Amino acid sequence: MKKYKADVVVTLKNGVRDPQGAAVDTVLRRTGMEEESEVQTGKFFILSISGDDETQAREKLNSICEEVLSNPVLETYKIERFTAV
Amino acid sequence: MKAGIVVFPGTNCDIDTKRACEYFGWDAEFIWHDENDLSKYDVVFLPGGFSYGDYIRAGRLAKFSPVMQALKDYAQNQRGFVVGICNGFQILCETKLLPGILSTNTNTKFICEETLLSVNHEGFPDTVKFAIAHGEGRYIADEQTLEEIKAKNMIFLQYKDNPNGSVDDIAGLYDRENRIIGMMPHPERGIFAETGNTDGRYFFEMLEREALNFACHCEEECSDDVAICKTRI
Repeated sequence: MKKYKADVVVTLKNGVRDPQGAAVDTVLRRTGMEEESEVQTGKFFILSISGDDETQAREKLNSICEEVLSNPVLETYKIERFTAV
Repeated sequence: MKAGIVVFPGTNCDIDTKRACEYFGWDAEFIWHDENDLSKYDVVFLPGGFSYGDYIRAGRLAKFSPVMQALKDYAQNQRGFVVGICNGFQILCETKLLPGILSTNTNTKFICEETLLSVNHEGFPDTVKFAIAHGEGRYIADEQTLEEIKAKNMIFLQYKDNPNGSVDDIAGLYDRENRIIGMMPHPERGIFAETGNTDGRYFFEMLEREALNFACHCEEECSDDVAICKTRI
């Protein structure tokens, strides 16, 4: 059994309104820190995944992302890192 | 009328819901979320609260509790009503027992107030006033899903003054085929006159009225005769 570490970022799908991002935009624009601000908020997960090989571990990770970490109606996920431990 | 009230870790409207049921003389009991048979209940409530702390997203983790599979079977067998209130509605959507999803309110705030609603169902006045208390109550569905919702006449409650940015002012859905009702407002908080609002009674009265049409599952040999069935009195 091999072990892997994965970083997953979950964000709202394009076109789904992101009120928290919009609130940060307001602050950045008001303070002049970034006048063209377009902030998107999301969630970040660090997971450890086990599997016989990388393919199996990745399959497992994908189903965790689709069933637990995100909801495809609303969100998309991206695996930012996948490394053997 | 036998009511089951599902309790997840983090549920907090379970007692209010039970008291509301008892006000109508129903036999109500709590069901821990690892239960896997719901067939004895005429109505199963998923009450409000913060199941599993609402971690990741409201309702996301509760959908993996054993009771949710039991609830799917219950709905599929058309045994009785499934009623998700607030967090319960979020769980029903996460589980795909109802279409669409609930997301953060447009104003990013937790909204706790009474709100006026129109009800698309017989036996209600034109407008009712229910309490709402949620941070993630903005109903979202894509165009295709919305068309299906309308085609199946599933819109049950609509906000008069949309407080959270829900699409088409949707506050509650009713899958009439499978008897699944989900709503952000809290009818169980509008039962006792002391609270200043009794509009919630209309909802419970509707459940009681319509449950009489269900096939009976009582252990007595009543042959579905409402007049002699003890569970229906």
